[in-house]
Amino acid sequence: MSYEIIALMMFSLMMLMLLSGQRVFGAIGFVAAVFSLMLWGEGGVEMPFSAAFKLFNWYPLLTLPLFIYMGYMLSESKIADDLYRAFHVWFGPLQGGLAVGTIGLMVIISAMNGLSVAGMAIGASIALPEMLRRGYDKIMITGVIQAGSSLGILVPPSVVLVLYGMIARQPVGQLWLAGVVPGLMLAGLFMLYIVVRCRIQPELGPPLPLEERQMPMREKLRLLSAGILPLVIFLSMTGLFVMGVTSLVESSAVGAVAATLAALIKGRLNREVMENTLRKSLGVSCMFMWIILAALSFGAVFDGLGAVKAIESLFIERWGLGPWGVLIMMQLSYLLMGTFLDDTAMLVIVAPLYVPLVISLGFDPIWYGVLYTITCQIAYMTPPFGYNLFLMKAMAPKEVTLVDIYRSIVPFVGVMLFGLVLVMAFPQIALWLPGVIYGN
Amino acid sequence: MPNAIVKYVRMVDAVNRRVGRFAMYLVFVMMGVLVYSAISRTFFDLPLIWVVEIAQMTMAAYYLLGGGYSMQLGAHVRMDLLYGRWSPKRRAFTDSITSLVLLFYVLTLLYGGVSSTQYALEYGQKNYSVWAPPMAPIKIVMTLGILLMVLQVIATFFKDLAAARGKPLS
Repeated sequence: MSYEIIALMMFSLMMLMLLSGQRVFGAIGFVAAVFSLMLWGEGGVEMPFSAAFKLFNWYPLLTLPLFIYMGYMLSESKIADDLYRAFHVWFGPLQGGLAVGTIGLMVIISAMNGLSVAGMAIGASIALPEMLRRGYDKIMITGVIQAGSSLGILVPPSVVLVLYGMIARQPVGQLWLAGVVPGLMLAGLFMLYIVVRCRIQPELGPPLPLEERQMPMREKLRLLSAGILPLVIFLSMTGLFVMGVTSLVESSAVGAVAATLAALIKGRLNREVMENTLRKSLGVSCMFMWIILAALSFGAVFDGLGAVKAIESLFIERWGLGPWGVLIMMQLSYLLMGTFLDDTAMLVIVAPLYVPLVISLGFDPIWYGVLYTITCQIAYMTPPFGYNLFLMKAMAPKEVTLVDIYRSIVPFVGVMLFGLVLVMAFPQIALWLPGVIYGN
Repeated sequence: MPNAIVKYVRMVDAVNRRVGRFAMYLVFVMMGVLVYSAISRTFFDLPLIWVVEIAQMTMAAYYLLGGGYSMQLGAHVRMDLLYGRWSPKRRAFTDSITSLVLLFYVLTLLYGGVSSTQYALEYGQKNYSVWAPPMAPIKIVMTLGILLMVLQVIATFFKDLAAARGKPLS
């Protein structure tokens, strides 16, 4: 049997397993275990466990549980409430202002955390009910929170870029800096979309009534002090890392400690907050780690099949694509697979196949990392399979239905695709900042 | 369900809950070790050679010992395109099959874990690093975590089967 057929069978079987409602790590792990057993017999039995040691040696992945812990600490202790109030008052008068302010809030949370879980939890529990109460269109704001929180993996720190950095063997510091401008650009585009949309259809986002925003200037300025805390956390974490004081993993631990201290100082750290933070962190960390564990053994089988060579010959020799054709093909296939399959697993399985090809075609691997992350963000949001969709359904108020959630992402995915094209056409958007800081 | 099975499910649930709730606190160990290392290096100019490996081992223990408890918490995502629309009974029936499929995967993990631990014990395997810690202890912990996961998956199978027959356990 040809290797292409085997690869195709692996993907189809995985797809079938996923449709049966199998837990994602179970579906991927089962396919990996069965095929390594069939292909390599007795030597293949140990492949699933070898993945545990590959994972063991992926030291930077320690940032994952630490960022998850930190994200839950920030959302469970509700220290982001003050921050939300500040945006609320300052942006409220604008048409659609609360939605614009929510994007701003999401950027700040993204700068404190490397995943989209924190932004999602804070957005769905604080911003969403407030905006619903003020008559904002529920479909638009559901999209706002999903798109906004997806910035968590692009604005540094970012766990997706850590994973990419490990697979592509690229420095995480440069990758993180490369994500800054594209992240802010996407946030700007989201805001622009909201403002324009609300200009055309004012009923979607009514401005805050006068009595709610009339407060003395001094009070308004005092609210801005809510911004100090995120700044301190950002500097103690990403700042110390980029300056070279702490290592990557240490910086995430510093961030986790800083978030805990912040909750303690604000008097929000009680038994319940601690219990919820620890339990949810364990659950989400286990979910991600078991998926990555299974995906690594799936990837190992693929590697054994010589998939990198097969894809290269398919794209270049058989389809006769030029470098840009290959690049666009890779993004499209990734988007398509990301829609139906698990996104974290896709990163672990597909990135090792694509990255060597990208480098051999002469593209910048740092820049490609940013493209990859934006593609990932889109994949996280597109049904039927996306973490943001799951999280949103679990966290949003009852009146937001699954259909609302599916419909809400459409315009934002459009904006993100536009952003993706911009970064593809103008690589300097990503490469300028790391160039300035690291001087290359 | 026979009495022995009910007892088994209860016992496995209780053990994994305890172990998982212990593992939950390991995140503090990771934080502590890493921050200690940063302070020691920055302020006292004393780099510590054991930090990376201790942190790695804690992480491995964290997610493997926590595995069974995370199953109980229902923390593992599924694609609910079809699954979400099924009746509870149909879901339970399908679950009992998917649990068996899952069991195959965790059993291969266990097989690999046991053989890797045996190797580490027999040859006194040490990690290839400056500190060179023996690898057997962490491998035993990892394999134990996987064993607990196997037991939990079997318990999950019984629970799904009972629910599919319309007589849910617990």
